[in-house]
Amino acid sequence: IDYTGTDPSSPCFKCLNVSWDSTPPCTCTINFTLEHSFESNVFMYYGLSNFYQNHRRYVKSRDDSQLNGDNSSLLNPSKECEPYRTNEDKPIAPCGAIANSMFNDTLELYRIDNDTRIPITLIKKGIAWWTDKNVKFRNPTGDGNNLTALFQGTTKPVNWPKPVYMLDSEPDNNGFINEDFIVWMRTAALPTFRKLYRLIERKDNMQPTLQAGKYSLDIAYNYPVHSFDGRKRMILSTISWMGGKNPFLGIAYITVGSICFFLGVVLLIIHHKYGNRNTSADIPN
Amino acid sequence: FLRAFTDFLAFMVLFNYIIPVSMYVTVEMQKFLGSYFLTWDEEMFDEDTGEGPLVNTSDLNEELGQIEYVFTDKTGTLTENNMEFVECCIEGHVYVPHVICNGQILHDCTGIDMIDSSPGGSGKEREELFFRALCLCHTVQVKDDDSVDGLKKNQLSRRSCIYISSSPDEVALVEGIQRLGYTYLRLKDNFMEILNRENNLEKFELLEVLSFDSVRRRMSVIVKSSTGDIFLFCKGADSSIFPRVKEGKIDQVRSRVERNAVEGLRTLCVAYKKLTAEEYSKAQKLLQNAKLALQDREKKLAEVYEKIERDFILLGATAVEDRLQEKAADTIEALQKAGIKVWVLTGDKMETAAATCYACKLFRRNTQILELTTKKIEEQSLHDVLFDLSKTVLRHNGSLTRDTFSGLSTDMQDYGLIIDGAALSLIMKPRQDGSSGNYRELFLEICRNCSAVLCCRMAPLQKAQIVKLIKLSKEHPITLAIGDGANDVSMILEAHVGIGIIGKEGRQAARNSDYAIPKFKHLKKMLLVHGHFYYVRISELVQYFFYKNVCFIFPQFLYQFFCGFSQQTLYDTAYLTLYNISFTSLPILLFGLMEQHVSADTLKREPSLYRDVAKNALLRWRAFIYWTFLGVFDAVVFFFGAYFLFDNTIVTSNGQV
Repeated sequence: IDYTGTDPSSPCFKCLNVSWDSTPPCTCTINFTLEHSFESNVFMYYGLSNFYQNHRRYVKSRDDSQLNGDNSSLLNPSKECEPYRTNEDKPIAPCGAIANSMFNDTLELYRIDNDTRIPITLIKKGIAWWTDKNVKFRNPTGDGNNLTALFQGTTKPVNWPKPVYMLDSEPDNNGFINEDFIVWMRTAALPTFRKLYRLIERKDNMQPTLQAGKYSLDIAYNYPVHSFDGRKRMILSTISWMGGKNPFLGIAYITVGSICFFLGVVLLIIHHKYGNRNTSADIPN
Repeated sequence: FLRAFTDFLAFMVLFNYIIPVSMYVTVEMQKFLGSYFLTWDEEMFDEDTGEGPLVNTSDLNEELGQIEYVFTDKTGTLTENNMEFVECCIEGHVYVPHVICNGQILHDCTGIDMIDSSPGGSGKEREELFFRALCLCHTVQVKDDDSVDGLKKNQLSRRSCIYISSSPDEVALVEGIQRLGYTYLRLKDNFMEILNRENNLEKFELLEVLSFDSVRRRMSVIVKSSTGDIFLFCKGADSSIFPRVKEGKIDQVRSRVERNAVEGLRTLCVAYKKLTAEEYSKAQKLLQNAKLALQDREKKLAEVYEKIERDFILLGATAVEDRLQEKAADTIEALQKAGIKVWVLTGDKMETAAATCYACKLFRRNTQILELTTKKIEEQSLHDVLFDLSKTVLRHNGSLTRDTFSGLSTDMQDYGLIIDGAALSLIMKPRQDGSSGNYRELFLEICRNCSAVLCCRMAPLQKAQIVKLIKLSKEHPITLAIGDGANDVSMILEAHVGIGIIGKEGRQAARNSDYAIPKFKHLKKMLLVHGHFYYVRISELVQYFFYKNVCFIFPQFLYQFFCGFSQQTLYDTAYLTLYNISFTSLPILLFGLMEQHVSADTLKREPSLYRDVAKNALLRWRAFIYWTFLGVFDAVVFFFGAYFLFDNTIVTSNGQV
């Protein structure tokens, strides 16, 4: 569901040109209908288009040792992060362009059931890679669990509304190990990409996870993409045992297989017709 | 504008992995390890000498598969350098020095066997004269065997003397005559002593020796027998004896000689003349004057010889075989079938060399022999000779091109060229009016159309000269020179690939060569099997290297379209570095060492398969473009396959991207 809001008839049109730090954030709601019900685990993604997360200068603009919790790098980020390294002489944590451009729209899903909006539980844990969350990204060590104190001496990235230690109330999803942050930091390969936002876990086996029907999506539109002609989408997807929906491989196999079969038949005919000729080696001396 | 320049440089840094630098390393390793296969080849191991092939240069393996010209030395390479007396023809009757009694061969019999019936009276006398002539007319020295007891009883038993001479032919003749019953003992006090068939000692006083020279191609001795008769015995090439003979069974002998020559035997004719005392004294005086002349001694001697040696009575002819090396004919035939032109360069004279060439099938029965010899050049000028020859070959070639579509090979006329050293130097001599280029061009043109060339009377430097001439000709063919003696070293060094035969004449050739093999026959396997394999392997290796680099870098190039042209690498830098070193070098190295696209037996059986890789066929532009296209296609499949696979879809089971 594209919710960029370029079309004047879209409900999010009013949020199109809002700046990133306006308070209160602009909100909009989009209603949609599910034709079929979704079984099993449902995944909610946000997708961006025309966003070159694979640009070379962008990709190298991060400091992995800082993100790993190294205290010296915390206060002295690497030079790769320029120009997002320091702000007013204070080091930025986390530094770099990648962190700076973190996606901060908030999406909520409601099911409309006879004019009542039933919120759907969205789980925000388990969306990042296990190795990322537990090995690569670590909060800076120190005594006490007070992240605010640990991040003393640093400042938040320029375009963030809140500093990093206030990303979430839960302590194991706060700071550098915030899963949304981690998911964003894993740069995508192509300019059109999607990132996992929330999980909708399946209920007991009887009922489908998302029933067919009307739904509405509440968006806190913070992330401006219109300036570079980007687009934002929300995607709901389930997966089967073979992964997500991707017709490419199937089509490719069938195409190549049928070509091979056709050629095989043709060559069999040719071989049968001409292959029995007795050609001895007529080599002129 | 500066941005464009820096961007360009950044792209160069990104794409420089397409140049396969490690190819050089892999190629060197493959060549080096591949040369071990040559030394380990058991078929090329010679049991007699206990030697296997040696590889002195590891760089030239693939050149072995590209050879177009093979220059070989004759003696020692094609022949065993071991003369053997085969037969003699006296007055038309043929004698062979083995006794076959009742179908059994008795080896140490001193008798002779006659193919024709025994001749009558006068024939017997001629027969005796023939044997004596052979026993006396030579310059052989005897080295006595000191280990034998030096007692008189030697006269009864057959002595084994060791004969030494500058010409192995003479040694073979004397030894052959010994087997027929006439033994030459020694030269003592100007008396030549021989043992005749009844083991009686005969003494002949040696009066004069008219020694051999290459111009008149004969030698004579004047001897006085114990009965007082003065004989002039002459022995020489048939072309120089027959014109001077006035009596004797000329036609029969001549036909026999020709038959022997075509079979490849070295023939000599023997004639004699009886001199009266005054004839002899006249001759002696003339000889004395000529020998003591202060100016033009050679010319005066030649004149005197000419005056003395005439009006002979023909006795007969001998045939000596210089046995070919094992399977030399087979090898040369295989090489010619494979499209390689074989040139024989030798220092010997034309007749013997031609005989050997017929024997080793360099010239076949239907080969038309073209001659570019000094004799012909004296008759016509060099210019005319060259033009005639070129017209001959080209005329036939021109008419052939119309027929090639029908694919008939039976009509193709083989041309063989014989050229000698003097003619060659005339061709190579630069002329003042600048037309020397034409001669060389003409000469090369003629050579290109001949399937076999024989160069006789070549000095070692001339051998190298002619190799160089062919090397620098229009198509720059790859040349191979093979020889066994020190006189072949210059030729071996000049050619692209030089092969030395580890042979009787010492190790000079083997040390200076790129490869050393024990016998000539091994050349066949070396070129047809090993050379072919090496070439195929290395060309596949080179093509593959470019292919894999294209496969690797082209997706990178395609990715730039999707990452904003920002030179972002598709692969981790570790992969970029290790790709060429560890991921892809080992398989192709093993392929390059072991690949045998056609089995070795098939290659040996069908020499014409060698033509498939001639002229660098596998590394031409067409092959290269094919491989590059393949690489691009594969790269496109890789990239877009992955693109469409990962686009808009999740592949993991937990939904994470």
